[in-house]
Amino acid sequence: MQALLSFDKAPPFAAPARFFLTAPLFLLAAALVLLASGPELLESRWSPALVAVTHLVTVGFMLMVMCGALIQILPVVAGANLAEPLGTARWLHAGLTGGALALAAALASGEQRFLAGAAGLLGAVVAGFLWAAGRPLFAVASTSPTIRGLKIALAGLAVATAAGCLIAVAVALGWPLPHALPDLVDLHAGWALGAWGGVLLAAMAYVVVPMFQLTPGYPARPGWLFPPLVLGLAVLWAVGAGFQMPFWVRVAQGATALAGIAFAALTLRLQSRRRRARADATLRCWQVALVATLLALLMLLASAVHPALGEHPRWAVLGGVLLIVGGYVSFITGMLYKIVPFLAWLHLQNCGAGVSSASRILADRPMLAQTRVHALAVFLLAAACLWPEWLARPAGFVLASASAWMFANLAGAMRRYRELAAAGGGR
Amino acid sequence: MSHSKARHVVDARFLPPPEPFVQTMEMLDTLPDGERMLLLLYREPHPLYKVLDQNGYSRATELQPDGTFEILIWR
Repeated sequence: MQALLSFDKAPPFAAPARFFLTAPLFLLAAALVLLASGPELLESRWSPALVAVTHLVTVGFMLMVMCGALIQILPVVAGANLAEPLGTARWLHAGLTGGALALAAALASGEQRFLAGAAGLLGAVVAGFLWAAGRPLFAVASTSPTIRGLKIALAGLAVATAAGCLIAVAVALGWPLPHALPDLVDLHAGWALGAWGGVLLAAMAYVVVPMFQLTPGYPARPGWLFPPLVLGLAVLWAVGAGFQMPFWVRVAQGATALAGIAFAALTLRLQSRRRRARADATLRCWQVALVATLLALLMLLASAVHPALGEHPRWAVLGGVLLIVGGYVSFITGMLYKIVPFLAWLHLQNCGAGVSSASRILADRPMLAQTRVHALAVFLLAAACLWPEWLARPAGFVLASASAWMFANLAGAMRRYRELAAAGGGR
Repeated sequence: MSHSKARHVVDARFLPPPEPFVQTMEMLDTLPDGERMLLLLYREPHPLYKVLDQNGYSRATELQPDGTFEILIWR
């Protein structure tokens, strides 16, 4: 039976690795735009440059890692195997890279025909991914909260992408929009960051937090409940917006915030009971992410209760910075710091070039150091939303440094993997 | 360690990967004919399921309220 430790059915390491190496470069690009633009970038969420930078991070970094990781992880956490993982990775990576760059360029430049083309390209790429990943995933039974969450997250991605494409094409071609543009953009962001990002994060957290941080498991009942609850609230939000019922939109926003706060608080509690005494980079990344997410969700809750708060131009920018850079980027960085060395270690075992532990592929010290710089970047970015004249460029510089360092750490792990694989005669 | 479902138990809930897989394989190698073993884990081990299926083992999984997956394995 020992021979069956072989991981021969797993997608090759090259499948997800390209996504993990490309993503920090998009974060670096976003930071460099902030460094070059300075304070005016953070003045309003509606400035074309900030909308472009937001999509460099949400599509170029977040979606890039999420899709790449799912190609690798679906067989492990759901028993769902993509038909052609390496082939899918090739076109998906090329499409997401090209689509994210084109969308950001179109949004920043205001070239409307270009915007329609970029949105169409990205929409087609995401549709292809949904087909490739959704077919095997929906063929397996929902035997765990994680599988149910993954299915709901894919539905969230489909709606978020469709809404984004519709908004972009309508704006580009001058089609009349059924509702006010800000309401539709909020809805797009709500589905993208809640029903897709939030549910996917929770579904993965059910597995990776106990597995990598050696905490107790997430209790079953809230684990089953969270994904359909967030989906239901996103539907309520859409119905409220569609029928011009702002009260129900606020109810949906407030309840979504409360659900997210409960999830974050539960995760912090589980982490406080972890068996791994040493605080590694992943734990620190998740602590930064959970605190930033809690603050962002408290802001969402406050503006749902007192809508006047959300009308301040800097309120939404600060909330977005906390949720996207402080929350999602930190969560994802923490996961990358476990997944990349672990996958490299696993594939080295498979090709007969085994190493004693994953820490020989990527040591904790550079990851922890990068995490500290990233945490400083989050703090400076949040402060820059309040004092942009003083802090926008320093925040951009520190975020650029953190992004470049993340790339260097991950590229170093890949290089070490290739050296060890070559020494062991592996693939 | 024993459990009401089986005398042979691997409690892998606080073990880092790949220890749960390794310890389960080791126990299956020494499991007497006709006996069952129980694996406790905070996730469903799909790669292990595949190995068990390929080697003629049967299994039944139950999710407990505290988030523990109880995986009963026998041949």
